[in-house]
Parts: sequence; structure tokens; C-alpha cells
Amino acid sequence: MMKFSDYIHESEIKHRSLSYNLLTPKPQKNNPDALKPKKIKVSFFKAISLLMPYTSVRVMEQLKAVFPLAAYLFIFQLLILRQPISSASTICLGLVAVIIGLAVFMEGLKVGLMPFGNIIGDNLPKKASMPVVLIIIAILGVGVTFAEPAIGALQSFGSSVNPADAPYLYEILNNWTLPLVLIVGAGVGLAAVIGTIRFVKGWSLKPLIYLALAPTIGLTVYAWLNPDLKTILGLAWDCGAVTTGPVTVPLVLSLGIGIAASAGKGDSSLSGFGVVTLASLFPIIAVLSLSIFVSFQITPEQIINGYEANISNMENTNDEVSLMSQTPYQEIILGVRAILPLVIFLMIVLFGILKSKLPDNLVTGYGLVLSIIGMCIFNIGLTYGLSNIGQQAGETLPAAFMQIPISSVSPIYTEILGLTIVILFAWLLGFGATLAEPALNALGATVQELTNGAFKKSMLMYSVAGGVAFGISLGVAKIVFNLDLATLLLPLYGIGIILTILSTEEFVNVAWDSAGVTTGPVTVPLVMAMGLGLGNAVSATEGFGILSMASICPILAVLSMGMYIQIKQKMQTRKMEA
Amino acid sequence: MAREITYLTDVFLITCVVQSGTAEKIINAATSVGAQGATINYARGTGIRDRMGLMGVTIDEQKEIIRIIVSKEQSNRVFESMYLAGDLDTPGKGIMWMSKLDRVATHIPKDVLKRVSG
Repeated sequence: MMKFSDYIHESEIKHRSLSYNLLTPKPQKNNPDALKPKKIKVSFFKAISLLMPYTSVRVMEQLKAVFPLAAYLFIFQLLILRQPISSASTICLGLVAVIIGLAVFMEGLKVGLMPFGNIIGDNLPKKASMPVVLIIIAILGVGVTFAEPAIGALQSFGSSVNPADAPYLYEILNNWTLPLVLIVGAGVGLAAVIGTIRFVKGWSLKPLIYLALAPTIGLTVYAWLNPDLKTILGLAWDCGAVTTGPVTVPLVLSLGIGIAASAGKGDSSLSGFGVVTLASLFPIIAVLSLSIFVSFQITPEQIINGYEANISNMENTNDEVSLMSQTPYQEIILGVRAILPLVIFLMIVLFGILKSKLPDNLVTGYGLVLSIIGMCIFNIGLTYGLSNIGQQAGETLPAAFMQIPISSVSPIYTEILGLTIVILFAWLLGFGATLAEPALNALGATVQELTNGAFKKSMLMYSVAGGVAFGISLGVAKIVFNLDLATLLLPLYGIGIILTILSTEEFVNVAWDSAGVTTGPVTVPLVMAMGLGLGNAVSATEGFGILSMASICPILAVLSMGMYIQIKQKMQTRKMEA
Repeated sequence: MAREITYLTDVFLITCVVQSGTAEKIINAATSVGAQGATINYARGTGIRDRMGLMGVTIDEQKEIIRIIVSKEQSNRVFESMYLAGDLDTPGKGIMWMSKLDRVATHIPKDVLKRVSG
């Protein structure tokens, strides 16, 4: 009789036995290399069966992030706003480019750029003195900012600003884009340097937050009191969210952790935190300083005159659009310009200063090529997909509550109902986009481990997502009602400081980092474009500021959640004692 | 009451090394045909990855090691369903083996003990 397991055995799969002796290499008398492993030749069909799962996993990952967002925007615009989607096929192709571009770029980042970061982080502190290390980290901060996919979005929004309403905003976005990105990068570099010193010395994050916030708020108040500079605030505060993306965070962290480990301080569970916080605060200071500098250089009248001269120039030379400013050449140039400086710098450090080698030149080279190609494809997708769909959503949103020229049926709802719908739309957008962000999942797991389960992963994810959702709603409300950004930001950061004083170090670290971690390369351009489109449609002065709201609100949410958990724990121990 | 150990015999250990991220699928397949639990380790592997040149990038260097303890009776069934779920017949997917264990001990609920030893 046959046993059941044997029956299953026979029915499921054919099998045979083979001695492994037959497969392992045998020593040969005349050939000393006979025992060494040989290169494997991959046949075409095997290559396909290897490549298929490799590509599909990576593309699916990005598809999961992009598709629900795009579908949500499409459905909302069609069903609730009853507005057909213009150039839908272009947008779809653009979104496909975003998905493929991000998939290629992230893979390139993983196999090409990250090994550089790891090797340099491990070896640099052994071979160079501390000041040299810090200088290299500072330069790296600038490099990674250029390589950040979302930073390209900033540069493409310049043309939508009206110089008469917001002269300095127009000037900086159009004629100072390179200094803008450079100074944002300098901010990130400084943050990385201070973050690294913090790793090594084991400083507490709280005083650093107070020290970083003091000049930020000081400069904000200064700019706020100057009517010409006031409009720059939204851009400045949004820059903080843009910088902390998928390139900066892992590269800077791997360097910092390597350095902390070689200094013997790598075992603190909190040492990974803090850099993200500083990297989202310092760029604000940097941009505000730049705009104040610009305001000393040039008056608003000069900017408006320059703008008008520019327009008449444009009319004269309208037919001769240079090849370089056409798609796809422009995107390719942007992509190469974003990655190449970083790669060259990393190579100089690795080969020149460390005199070290890469583990596998071929694979790293492949990764670097991928990251450049990915960046170019992503840039094309950014222009035609994300910016386009975001802007359209923003422009049609007001149709819910007011009459706008592009929608014949507007206003669709009564003012109050329409406004409620718009705010609700923004809330859901923020909530969904944040929950879908893979970085949040990782942060949640870390936090659960760090607090020994007191702060559950799901609790963190929902409080961050809720915070971002509330922040985006608030940002949309700011644009619709033309509220003053500073009057929203200053009290919110005030509450943030009070909560920070009252919270423990762990929660402060987690909370301040949670905001930066969650604003990825898909959400940032989409939300920015939506804000600008909305701003244009309701003729607000400028459409920036949504992201800054989406940064502070999750911080408050996580801090309050942390307080709640602490209080609950105290109550429990008291009960136990009683 | 004196403490005692119950030794389990007829036990096999299935170990399966796969690319990072695929363990969950394989464990689900194993538990659906009767495996009681699994242990996962993270590891880094070398092998054909380094000998394939550029094609090596398609294979993740990060591995997951799944260990499942099974009874002799269910061992073949679990082994095969894991092999199939992990697509181990495709190049680069991973490797698995089974070894006989001398004895295993863990907590066994009293009522279960009573029931099986009658």
C-alpha cells in the first residue's frame, strides 16, 4: 500500500535522484585551474527568465505608488468635477515614463550609487582626518540635492509666477535657479555635517532643533514683514520637503552611520535619526537668506522691467526655439546634469582620496548608467505626467465652488458644499499618498522596535498619514482663501516647540524625521503642481506652501501621539502600584 | 511537580535559501500543506551571481533563509510545495535541502500529549 505522502509526491512533480559528485569539478593533472569556478554563459531564454521577474518586481513597486494616485485624480476630476481630462493620452504616457524612470533610477541607486556611499562611509574616517571628512560630506550634500528627482520639479514651475504679484519669487525661480538649488544643497550639506558630528558626539536632538528653528523663524518673520519678500515664504518652506528624498536620505545616512561606527558610537539605536530633520530645516534658512540677498541686489521694479523686456525679446525670437530646450533633449540634459556631478565627486573621493577599489566595476558602472537613464526618463514623465495631471487637478478644483472659465458647468455645488468637497479631496489625497509611501512602512517598523512595541507601527503610520492629510487640506485652504502662510506656520511651529520640550528624546527623533521621510518623488511634484494650478485658478499670489504644511502637521501628530502613549503608560503603572 | 522533556522523533528540517522578499510566498505554501511554523534569517549569498557577469544583477545578493521543522510524514509534501512556490526550477531563485533531526523538544500542550499517547 502507498502512503499518502508518497501519493502526493508522485502526483505533484516528477523527480529523479542524481549524485552531486557528478556535478562538482574534478582535479586534473595538467590544469591547475580546473577546480576554480567558471564563468556561466547565460543563454537567451535563460536571460529572459531571469530578467522578467527582475524587471516586473521593480516596475510593480513604482506602479503601486503611482497608479492609485493617478486613478484617484482622474476619477475625482471626471465624476465630481465633471470635467473631461485634457490630453489624457499624453498624461498616461507621461505616467508610464514616471513609473519606468523611477524603477530604473531606484535600481541604479541601489547597485550603482549606494555601494559608493557604503565604501566611503566605512573607509573614509580611517584614512582621512575629521575636517576632511566633514568637508567631503558637505560637498556630498550639494551633490545629492542635485540628484534628487523632485528637485527638477522646482525648476519647472518658474514660468507660472506673475512677477507683478510676487517679484522676488519670480526672480529666484527664473533667473536664480542654479544658485537656488546650490544653496538648498549647501543647506543639506551643512545638515549632513552637523548630523554626523551629532552621531559621533552623541548629542541630543532637542537643542539642535531649537538652534535650527531660531534663525528659521527669525528670517521668516523678517521676510514676512517685507511685503515684497513675503511671497517667497511658501517656496522656502516647501524646499525643506523637497530635499529629503530617496537619494539624500540613504546616501547621507550610510555615510553618517559608517563614520559613527568607526568612532565607536554606532550602536545607539537613535543615531540614524536627526539628519533628515536638519536637512529639512537648513534649506529653509538657506532659501530665505538667498532671497534676502537677492532683495539687496535688485528692486522689484527692475525685475518687472526685466520681465517685460524678456517678453518682447521672446516675441521677436519666437520661431527659433533652440534644440536644447526641446523635449527630450532638455530632460536628458537635466538628468545628466543631476547625476553626473555626484558620480564624478564620489569617484574622486573613492579613487583619489581613499585609493580604494569598487567590489565590481561592471555592476557599479551598470548601476550608474541606469541611474542617469532613469533620471532622464523620470524627468520626461515629470513634465508630461505628474506636473500635468497635478496642475490640471488644481486648475479644475475650484469648479466645485466657484465659476471658472474652463468648466462650463461651474459652480457645480453650492459654495459651502463645494469647499467641503475640495478640502475632503485634499485630505484623502494626503492620507492615501502617505500610506502608500514605502519609506513610511520602514520607519514604522523601526519605531516599533525602538519603543519596544509601545508605539505600534500602524499607530505611527496612521498618525503620520493623518498629519500629512490635515496639512495638505490646510495648505489647499491657504491657497483657496489666500491665507497668510506665516500666520499658519508660526503658531504650528510654536506648538511643535512646546511639544518637543515636553516629549522624550525618542519621540522627538521619530517625530521630526517622520515628515521628511514621507515626502517622496511622486507626491512632491504632484502636490506642488496641484498647488500652483489651484493658485492660478483662484488667482492667488502664489501656490506654494502646501508641502510646508504637510511637513509640520505630521510632526505635531506624532509628537501628540507620543505624549498620549507616555501618559497612558504612566496611568497604567500607577494602576499597577495602587 | 517534576519537570520533564518529551523528545519528538521522526522530525526533519527543511532549509531553503531564496532571494530577499520571496520568503513569505514560500512559507504560505508550506503552511497551507501542514507546516506548523517557520524561522527566517537574513543573509548575504554568493554563488552563480558572481559568475554570470552583468546578468548577476538580476539576482538579489540579499537572501532569506527559511527553516521549517516538519514531521517525516509531511516532509515530502512540504518540501515539494515550497520548491514549486519558490520557482526553484528557475535559475538563480535559490536552493533548498532537508536533513533528518535526531530529536526535537518544545512545549507540547497536555491535552495533545494525552490524546496522542492515549
